[in-house]
Amino acid sequence: MEYYHVEGFRKRFSETEVLKGIGFDLPKGKIMAIIGASGSGKTTLLRCLNFLEKPDEGKIYIDGALLFDAKARYSERELREKRLRSGLVFQSFNLFPHYRALKNISLAPELLARRHIRAYRKEQLEASRGEPFFARRKQVRRRTRAYAKELKETNRERAESLLAEVGLADKRDSYPHELSGGQQQRIAIARALALSPDVLCFDEPTSALDPELTAEVLGVIRRLKGQTMIIVTHEMSFAREVADYVLFMADGVVEEAGTPEEIFLHPKSEKTKAFLKCREENS
Amino acid sequence: MTTFLKITLELLEGFGKTCEIFFVTLALALPLGLVIAFGSMCRLRPVRAVVRAIVWVVRGTPLMLQIIVVFYGPSLIFGVYGFDRELAAIVAFVINYACYFSEIYRGGIQSVPVGQREAGQVLGMSKTQIFFRVTFMQMIKRIVAPMSNEIITLVKDTSLVRVISVVEIIMVAETSMRKGLIWPLFYTGVFYLLFVGLLTLLFRYAEKKLEYIKI
Ligand SMILES: Nc1ncnc2c1ncn2[C@@H]1O[C@H](COP(=O)(O)OP(=O)(O)O)[C@@H](O)[C@H]1O
Ligand SMILES: [Mg+2]
Repeated sequence: MEYYHVEGFRKRFSETEVLKGIGFDLPKGKIMAIIGASGSGKTTLLRCLNFLEKPDEGKIYIDGALLFDAKARYSERELREKRLRSGLVFQSFNLFPHYRALKNISLAPELLARRHIRAYRKEQLEASRGEPFFARRKQVRRRTRAYAKELKETNRERAESLLAEVGLADKRDSYPHELSGGQQQRIAIARALALSPDVLCFDEPTSALDPELTAEVLGVIRRLKGQTMIIVTHEMSFAREVADYVLFMADGVVEEAGTPEEIFLHPKSEKTKAFLKCREENS
Repeated sequence: MTTFLKITLELLEGFGKTCEIFFVTLALALPLGLVIAFGSMCRLRPVRAVVRAIVWVVRGTPLMLQIIVVFYGPSLIFGVYGFDRELAAIVAFVINYACYFSEIYRGGIQSVPVGQREAGQVLGMSKTQIFFRVTFMQMIKRIVAPMSNEIITLVKDTSLVRVISVVEIIMVAETSMRKGLIWPLFYTGVFYLLFVGLLTLLFRYAEKKLEYIKI
């Protein structure tokens, strides 16, 4: 079992079974590209992996520990906790239009920090038990405030460094509508990275973009060294270049998986061959 | 001149009551409308059905009828008397307007793309956080125009409270009319126009303030 282990994912929408038992393994820091015809269930798989969709069956292990089992019942809170382990970059960016670029990135970490702050306060109250009431309150309040300020500062710095990482340090105060599609998607990537997910998923991150903007987004993804990633893409050349593994999906199953050479140069399945041939003719 | 001043002061007093009903209704119906909106979108079917039925009844019957029912209903049905007139009027207004507002809220919330909510979910936000941090401002942006319509209608609807003899500006003017003075009746229009004009400016300002959100 590798770092990120997915097994037996099934998902049915009323009549149609979209995922028919999908599983794969992905070592830490590696990149997997998922390719396949439209309608083969790629988006549904990513949505299940990020708990936006509830699969009928399936398990996820991270680092050997069971993270998710479709058969178990999780509370809303537990699911939220689990969602933090993975990130998802959407095809249509889905940036928050009413926040500036920096805030788009720092919002979720800030909300998360509130929980840490509450926990810290509680801890401080415990630790100072027995001291005079007012002095104790005052001290705890002062410390909590200092801690909150520190967290806020750290979050802002992190958001700024992420902005720089996606090459948009000068756009920190821009609203999404003031940015090009490529820039918006780069902000969305930074936003997903801000929570340091164990696995970052991309659902056709460039398919809503003009060709000239595609390159800048792919460039950013290429530079995310060490991040475990799953990228659903139609960009075959990109998949071939950056992916460590390629998974070809057809009709809700893993038709073929392997290294880029295996899939692109020596495909075994007829379906894979047909798909790649069709792709080549289109491009 | 002294008549004019006297009438102005009288009308002003009546208009005070008008404003009172307006502001109290607004202050209560705005939040209540949001609660009703959530009820009408509730995942539990029975809750949703009941709330939608209530909204249907309230929006489908005249406000005047509702005022009468709220005021006379308790005494006729339960034999409870001494219900405060103004309180009854405000209760009817709040329920009525909360239902109208709830539909506007619902439209506003549902027109925010699902992707926004999903982006929040993926970032580990709670439902409450998603509503207040992601959906809320986008909803506000979308509802300013329909809300301003509804609120301006409320200003004029306040004149309905006279059916249970709550004295507001038009009723004051009517009293002078019975004494042979017709112009105070027209004069009330000036009060309404000024007030609505002020509100219009306020809404225009709000729209301008929200221009930074592009959707
Ligand atoms: N919410 C849904 N309800 C019903 N059917 C769905 C839903 N989402 C996806 N599907 C169906 O599942 C199939 C796979 O869709 P999708 O995962 O989007 O494929 P891909 O991303 O590979 O193009 C499609 O036939 C689609 O119609
Ligand atoms: Mg898709």
